[in-house]
Amino acid sequence: MSKAKNIFKIIILSLLGITLLVHFNKLPLQFEYANSIYHHITNNAVKETGSLNFVTAILYDYRAYDSLGESTIIFGAVSGIVLLLSRKTLPVSSHGLSFIVKRTFGMLTPFIFLFGIYIISHGHLSPGGGFQGGVILGSISIIFSIVYGSEFDYKRYSPTTKTLLETSGALLFIGLGLLGIVMGGNFLVNLKILNSGVGSLISAGSIPFINIGIGFKIGAGLAIIFYSMIQKTFKEEVNL
Amino acid sequence: MIILKYLLIIFLIATAYLAISFKEELISIIFLSIFSITLTTLYLIHNAPDVALAEAVIGAGLNTAIFMTVISQVREGKSIFREDD
Repeated sequence: MSKAKNIFKIIILSLLGITLLVHFNKLPLQFEYANSIYHHITNNAVKETGSLNFVTAILYDYRAYDSLGESTIIFGAVSGIVLLLSRKTLPVSSHGLSFIVKRTFGMLTPFIFLFGIYIISHGHLSPGGGFQGGVILGSISIIFSIVYGSEFDYKRYSPTTKTLLETSGALLFIGLGLLGIVMGGNFLVNLKILNSGVGSLISAGSIPFINIGIGFKIGAGLAIIFYSMIQKTFKEEVNL
Repeated sequence: MIILKYLLIIFLIATAYLAISFKEELISIIFLSIFSITLTTLYLIHNAPDVALAEAVIGAGLNTAIFMTVISQVREGKSIFREDD
């Protein structure tokens, strides 16, 4: 019975694979059309947005409304997980790992923070952006919880601070969008403020500010998710 | 470069198969992490550094930590973190 089931699964999966392969081969190559969106973006993106990284230009300028939807999804996930998993007995903690691991991560963690900030702030110049840098910033909270114990995480980087950071990131994003309407344009239009030439750190209009908002929002949101999942893991009670 | 690409694709399929073929969850999580790192290299070869960065950070870093936390919560008394001694 189970052998027949397995053969049936293999047949279904290989049929699916063959179908996908045939249809991918039938897709037209993007540079076959002279007037396609690919040509428009590669020719005009630097002139229109000032961002050297075209992926960031698409994500936070041409399709910024989609990014707003994605960050709303993250907000919904954070709200649902906190609603399901958070409990009143907050400070439960472990002792963390050994002394050597604690000292090593004490030296490494500032550089991880610096790398996250670099990825966020250079999102319009080099690969990366708000989302990737935000996840790197959120991993610092995971390091605190695992290496030093979740009591340390609760004291240094409390849930109130995380909530404040997430809300301020979201408000920065929506505020920049509304500022576009106020300054005479559409929602989330590129404001073209504070330009000091293509390729410099302060350029590309409102793209770096949207990056900073998304970075704080994603980082704090993932830290909240991890913290509310880890709360019940440790049995030992610690008095704060 | 083409040989490296096909070797990586074969390794990707092998790690994906190994991840679902073990009963122990911890081994599956480690194989998923290896899967993500291989996929990161493939994205880099195909000139997509943005996606590669996201895959490395989320797939290999965050997913492993979150899955391990979930498993240590599901199994009562068998935490991957140190028990109180």
